Order: sequence, then structure tokens, then C-alpha cells
Amino acid sequence: MLRLLRSEIYRLVRRWMPWIMLALIVIIAFVFYFLIWASINAQLQAVKSGTIPAPAGGTAQLEETLRQIAPDRVAQFGVGVIAGLGSVMLIVFAASHVGTEFGWATFRTLLAHGASRSGFLVSKAVSLVLYAFVFMVVGTIAAIAASYAVSAVAGIPVGRGVDLAEVAGVAAKSGYTFLPYMALALAIAVWSKSAGAGIAAGLVVYFAEGIVAGILVSLNKDYAQIVNWGLSRNASALTRTVSGQGGPSTQDPTASTLPDPTQAALVLAVYSVIFLVLAYWRLRSRDVTVGG
Amino acid sequence: MTVQPHEVVLRTSALVKRFGSITAVDGLDLEVRRGEVVGLLGPNGAGKSTTIGMVLGLITPTAGSAQVLGRDVRAHREDALAGVGAMLEVTSFYPYLSGRDNLAAIALLRGGGALARVDPLLERLGLAQRGRSKFRTYSLGMRQRLGIASTLLGNPALVILDEPANGLDPAGQREIRELIRELAGENRGVLLASHLLYEVEQVCDRVLVINKGKLIASGTIAEVTRRGAYFEIVVGDKARAAQILRGIGVKEIRETPSGLDVVTDPERGAELNRALASAGLYASAIIPRASSLEDVFLELTEAEAPGAAAAS
Repeated sequence: MLRLLRSEIYRLVRRWMPWIMLALIVIIAFVFYFLIWASINAQLQAVKSGTIPAPAGGTAQLEETLRQIAPDRVAQFGVGVIAGLGSVMLIVFAASHVGTEFGWATFRTLLAHGASRSGFLVSKAVSLVLYAFVFMVVGTIAAIAASYAVSAVAGIPVGRGVDLAEVAGVAAKSGYTFLPYMALALAIAVWSKSAGAGIAAGLVVYFAEGIVAGILVSLNKDYAQIVNWGLSRNASALTRTVSGQGGPSTQDPTASTLPDPTQAALVLAVYSVIFLVLAYWRLRSRDVTVGG
Repeated sequence: MTVQPHEVVLRTSALVKRFGSITAVDGLDLEVRRGEVVGLLGPNGAGKSTTIGMVLGLITPTAGSAQVLGRDVRAHREDALAGVGAMLEVTSFYPYLSGRDNLAAIALLRGGGALARVDPLLERLGLAQRGRSKFRTYSLGMRQRLGIASTLLGNPALVILDEPANGLDPAGQREIRELIRELAGENRGVLLASHLLYEVEQVCDRVLVINKGKLIASGTIAEVTRRGAYFEIVVGDKARAAQILRGIGVKEIRETPSGLDVVTDPERGAELNRALASAGLYASAIIPRASSLEDVFLELTEAEAPGAAAAS
């Protein structure tokens, strides 16, 4: 098993895709922070110069939005941006990481050289978790750096600076919510022997389930008892806890019906395990002819 | 561990694989010993790749078993395959890695000093110059060579090669034939599945001919080709000669423009001559003719092909 994991990581670090994704999340963090500042600053200047009328409550809300750039808000704002984009990128990566083995027929090559099917799946899952960890660390560091850089350019006070413990906690919990989606993408890629199907299924569930759950709970809060067993509501429950009072989910009118965070963490873990077991069940019974 | 010179490295017993109503392999028994090259022959769809798939644990047998070095592949797959190097018909590696990195990735999976064999194997297979080029830039012949190199990373007792000469030019095919003999010389067993009958005839000690999943002939090249051996008898009175030869138990006689082709044991040349001469019939020539492996292969497999009866 360890030999297979070593081989997996050897191949992973020699692939362009994971490096490109890391580069993208760093660039996106800086661009996002800069665009927020540039956009809000332009609106403030326009209001001050009288080019556009002041909003109903004055410029306080715009200035508060600008304050999100400050380093002491990285846990709520920067990590949220990284997590939002990261979840999509990691679903794509998980499906590709597994699906390409079937597309290139390298799954068959690995098995022919003595790899076991369970070892294959475990090494894939472990390498995905490791990559998600690295991704969140790099993304979070990029968000912190972007926050300081743009704050310096914009003249926004640094305040008490970054609370590293708080940021690490938020990043860890956000990263944890990715796991069931990545496991789902992996399972669909195994079943379909295709990266594309894994990406499509992962993204559809990620976006559609959250929207449907939100609509149902808005219509009738009793529906929460059903949809709270899905992925999106449990992921929201965890990220809401970590984003605290200043987090974006306080805007969510259905937030009061979200599940308990401990239950949410357990439900997400159970989903992750179920998806992996389903993938293994399919993999172990399949005859590997051409491809996988 | 002591290595026995003629130890059985691969044994299948009553191996069966059914895909729905189709029986791809039907009760196949085969053995490969150290130091010998065994050819696995059969037309497309005969069950060669399915057999190899079952030996490697890629395909689950419906019945029967495969053992490598005495270890059952289903029960102890990883231990059993530690002694096997296999190259499958379609050589598949990671396109974004170089040839060298592909071998290194497999070597890490193999463990046990395999990493140290990467560069010597690239050298041995003539890929040292292109070892750092991406696999996706390799020609078909280079891919085949890399596939063969990968089989030797684990220093295996059994090497399985499925169509190793695909895409190689004649010089490359010769090199591969020499390499296969070298592998047998290193006291490894080699199972070679190939469509190139000339190649098989050149390198194999024994052949197994399968068709529709069944073993239809096996033995050394000489034993298998003997079954298609015949005598060309140049004689004037063909009808009388045929009657005399039937009288001494010859069953298969074909008339030709110059005489008769008589299919019988290659040792019976003198007996045929004596029988004809005793009856006062003197043949101008009695020429023993050996069949090539290709003749025998076609005879064996076409005899079972659909429509063969109507054609004959």
C-alpha cells in the first residue's frame, strides 16, 4: 500500500494540472482582493465626486465591504473565497485524478504490475486528501498575502492583523467540507471510467443540491428535516460555524434550520465513506479488459 | 530461496471464463517452466488475452485456477504477481511522464531494488537516448520497448508478453526475439502471445494453440508441425497407388497433378516405398514435406471456423 502511495505521489508531483491549480488559486486570491478594492474604491470616489448619488444608508456599507480586505477579516472573507473556488477546482481535480487512469488505460498497467484494487483506491483517496490540504494551505497563505498587499496599497488599517489560529481553523473546516464532494467525483469516475462524468456529477450535486435545499427550506422550514441529511446543508452548517457572526451565511434566512455542527461533520464523514465504499465495490467486481 | 532449474512458474487448471453466454476460455490447462519460452497462439478472439488477464488477476475466472510460483493468483494476488512481469497487448503508460519516469513510477510500486534497474533496462532496450522524452512522443516501437522494459523491473521468474513485436521494424523484431531467448537463458519462464507465427517458430520451445477458448494443440514446434507433415509421391498410376497405400493403413490421400500427397507419420517413408514396390509400382520420387507452423495453425483454426465445412 505504501509503495503504491509513493508511486502515486511521484506521478502527482510530475503532473502539470495540480501545479496549475495551485498557481491559479494564488493568482485568483490576489486578483479577487484587488478587484474588490478597485471596485468599491471606484464607487466611493464616484459618490464623493457626485458622479453617482450616495446609496440610501450613505457610504457606510461600501466602507464596511472595503474593510473585508483587512487582514483581520481573512478568516471570514479570504478563506471563504478560497473555499468557494477551491471546492469546484478540487471536484474537477478528484475526477481527473481517477478518471484519467481509465482513459489512459494505466489502471490496467498498475494492476498488471501487482497493485491491488483496494490499494489503488486508498492511494488515490489519500493523495487527494493530501493535495486538498496543500491546496488549502497555499490558498490561505495567498489570501493572507493578498490581504496585506492590497491593504497596504489601499491604505486600509491592518488592525490586529491575521489571527492565524482562527484562519487555520476556518481553512481546516472548509477543507473538510470538500471531502464528500471529492469522494463523490471519485466514485462516479470509477463507475463511469471517465473523468468527465465525475466532474459533471460532482459539480451538479455541488450546485444543484444546495439550491434545491435552500428553496425547499425557504418554502417550508419542515423540509429542513429532510434536506439536512444532504451534503450542502451539512457543509453550510460547518462553514457557518467557522465564519462566525461576521460571515456571509448570517445573510442566509434558512440558517436557523441548519443542522448541529457535530452532526454535520459526522454526516459529511459518512457520505465520504459511503462514496469510497461504493467505488471499491464497483472496482473489485469489475473485469479489467481494455482500459479499466 | 533455491531456484529449481525447471520449476513450474505458471500453471492454470481447468481455467474457464464466460462473459454472459459466450465462453471465452473453456477449461484451459497450461504450464510454463523456468528456462522455456511457451507460445500462446490463436486467432483473434480465441481467448489469449482473456487467459493472460486471468493469470494477472485482471479478470476473475468463472472456474478453475491460475498459480504463479505455486501461489494462487486469486487468493494471494500480490504475492503471486511479485514474480511476474507482464506486458499487455496495448501498452499503456502516463503520457505526461517521460519513459524513464514511467519506469520509475512502476519501480516504486514494485519496490525491492526495482528503481536501480530503471537505467540499465532503458539501456538494454535501446531507449537510453530517449529516456527523458515524454511517453506521448514515443513511436509505437518505442512504446513496445518501454513495455518490455517494464516487465523486467521486478526481476520476474515469469515474463508474459502479449504481442511484443507489434509496431517494430524487422530489425526491432529480431532484437526482441533475441531478448526473449536471453530471458529464457536467465532461467525465466516466458509466455509469448503472438500473431507472428514466424516469430513464435523462431523463439518458442513449446506452443499452445487455442481456438474458441479451448486448447486444440500443444507440444514442441516439431511435435505440432509433425501433425501436418506429408509425403509427396510422384507416381503414374495414382488410383492403384492410392489403393495400395490405403491397404497399409494410410487414411488421408490427396490426388495431385504429379501423383499423390499422403498424410501419415513422417517415419513411414520407407514403408510406403516398400509397399508400392512390392506391388510392382515404382514411384519416381517420395519426398517428405514438413508443414510450417503457419500451415498447421491455419489448418487447426480454420477447421473449427464457422463455414469451414461448407468451404472444404
